[in-house]
Amino acid sequence: MHDGLVKKLEILADAAKYDASCASGTAGKRSAKKGEQGIGSLTGGTGICHSFTPDGRCVSLLKILMTNYCIYDCHYCINRISSNVARARFSEQEVIDLTLNFYKRNYIEGLFLSSGIIQSPDYTMESLIRIVKSLRQDHGFKGYIHLKTIPNASRELQIQAGWYADRLSINVEMPTQQSLNQFAPEKKLNEITGAMGHLHEKITETKTLKKSVPGSRKRGFSSRYTPGGQSTQMIVGADSTSDQGILNTSVHLYGKFKLRRVYYSAFSPIPDASKLLPAISAPLMREHRLYQADWLLRFYEFSLDEILAGSQNNMLSLDYDPKLAWALQHRQLFPVDLNRACRHMLLKVPGLGVRSVDRIIAIRRYHQVSLEDLQKLRVSLAKVKPFIMAAGYSPLPSLLEQEKLGSLIARPVIIQPAKQLTLFGS
Amino acid sequence: MTRAKPVYSTKAFITIDEVPGFGQWRAAARRCLQNGLHPDEIQWRTGESAVAPMLDLFSAQAPQEQPENTSVNGSVKVHQKFITLAEVASCHHNPDRFSLLYRLLWRQQREGSHLLARATDDDVLAFQKLVKAVYRDAYKIKAYLRFREVRQPAADTGKPQAGDDAVTQYAAQYFAQYVAWYEPEHYSLELVLPFFTTRFKNMRWSILTPYRAAHWDGESLQFADNPESSLYPKDDAIEQYWLTYYASIFNPARVKTKAMLSQMPKKYWKNMPETVLIDQMLRGAGTRLSKMLLSNAT
Repeated sequence: MHDGLVKKLEILADAAKYDASCASGTAGKRSAKKGEQGIGSLTGGTGICHSFTPDGRCVSLLKILMTNYCIYDCHYCINRISSNVARARFSEQEVIDLTLNFYKRNYIEGLFLSSGIIQSPDYTMESLIRIVKSLRQDHGFKGYIHLKTIPNASRELQIQAGWYADRLSINVEMPTQQSLNQFAPEKKLNEITGAMGHLHEKITETKTLKKSVPGSRKRGFSSRYTPGGQSTQMIVGADSTSDQGILNTSVHLYGKFKLRRVYYSAFSPIPDASKLLPAISAPLMREHRLYQADWLLRFYEFSLDEILAGSQNNMLSLDYDPKLAWALQHRQLFPVDLNRACRHMLLKVPGLGVRSVDRIIAIRRYHQVSLEDLQKLRVSLAKVKPFIMAAGYSPLPSLLEQEKLGSLIARPVIIQPAKQLTLFGS
Repeated sequence: MTRAKPVYSTKAFITIDEVPGFGQWRAAARRCLQNGLHPDEIQWRTGESAVAPMLDLFSAQAPQEQPENTSVNGSVKVHQKFITLAEVASCHHNPDRFSLLYRLLWRQQREGSHLLARATDDDVLAFQKLVKAVYRDAYKIKAYLRFREVRQPAADTGKPQAGDDAVTQYAAQYFAQYVAWYEPEHYSLELVLPFFTTRFKNMRWSILTPYRAAHWDGESLQFADNPESSLYPKDDAIEQYWLTYYASIFNPARVKTKAMLSQMPKKYWKNMPETVLIDQMLRGAGTRLSKMLLSNAT
């Protein structure tokens, strides 16, 4: 390790930070067997956050680009060919050494490797594969590897990567082809989703194979093909797509390719930005609302129509979280009786999370659930009271009818509005 | 309605002088239960509050004030899940943990093992609070502990061969030892050792905490109580790369200090070398952001 490497790391970590995916996902358990050389483990749960940066994000993986040289010109991207940023390229060995050295000191759960495209998509992809293959085979690395595959690389290479990586991802970046045309002229949505389709097929195929071969589970046969599945990212706020458009794409991707995660990344100002982009600060609250909606879709049994019912211009409310917004639109369905309602309806109560709901269901087998119980479960009474009935409690009818109910219970959100910056100050 | 509570007089003083002390508690609790002692008849003391000197780690003796094991009839039945969680809870530094554990054990003999499902029962709540705090503490050790590498002379290797290059010669004479100093809130070291022996199986490492050190040589663990913090190496050849990485992965356009602090409160910072950069990163963030927004677009 030498000084030049510090500079490279600075450039190539900086260039990787616009990828919102930071956590390592669930990819089963894995560790070196008795007598086997090698290092690392997967614990079975989601990966550990080894640190947090002041942007509130978890540092779980060594997230770097192999290089930030790129032949493409995607406008939202700091590494596009027309950008004047400093460039660097790691050797394959440098990436391997950094990963192992960081891992041995317990800084990270593994590697998140991505790259600008040099020479050709296949050339770049081959180099990425050599790195992860060497980590796995030469060094017995059992930690987590997330590989960002290169759009337009050949199908064979995309498939090959899945034998070494725990998770593969290709960012769609823009929710529609129209926006891609405008901002990422070299990227085609159908090629990206095509690659997701191939991987999804291969993952399903190896899973089925594993089930059908007797004893294959024990021998670990084919057992580790992209165990963490696929994920993707969409940039929010650079183009004009509405929340409905974005969530529609998410629902499609979750449904068709069984993606594990869709990440939403508020468009973030970058050094040396393209003039096609808005010069505004990142719409962080919009990003937050999209994640909340995403959660409601995946864990709270909400449909997309329910989430968007009553939205204006197909945009989620910035003032209220989407669950509260839905409840305010459907006051006739409340109050919900905590001691009788089904799980589906309990999940719809603003202020009740999945855990609290499951605990309420467990407790009510033994006694009537009261407000005191909720307090002990650390549920915010102020938030749930208008929407529930419990032992010895029912809300005053006037509580639900209040015009200003939303603003009374919504936690005040302190967030800077997206500011249009003028070149000459205000 | 409510009957007057019977008054109990203390019949047993039990001192748990090991930390965390689960094994001692378990043995003592079994005897108390077999002797039909009500929770209010026992005073549990912990090593920290007792005058008795700490017992050696490996010679766990039965506490002397413990009641004689006179009646062995009446077996103690309790769900395995409770035992597992009780072991976790016993790592908490709360001095009342053993009396709470006994009360839960006692109550489960009478009220059944589903007692634990009653998430709003006061004893169960207190128990869960302990368990949660210890799990969190253990998780943070796995997350925030940092190893530093030292090269130790290898005693068991022969002389380097003449033909070897410098690197091979060096590797033959020294092996890497990874050492960490970590100050947990509770006695959670024991809980995280399986994680470290699995993940870093083929490394030699030592984890030092104020109350105990664990040393791993690739095959087995050895323990020593009250290690010196000065055994922790002062620096590490790779740490500057980690600090560089930490500073570079931060996006100054989205400062969310509260989100960071909720996951990584300042009490953990002393274990983590990168946290020295945080102030400086926050101070520089505004300038970096306006520079980005105001520079000419290309």
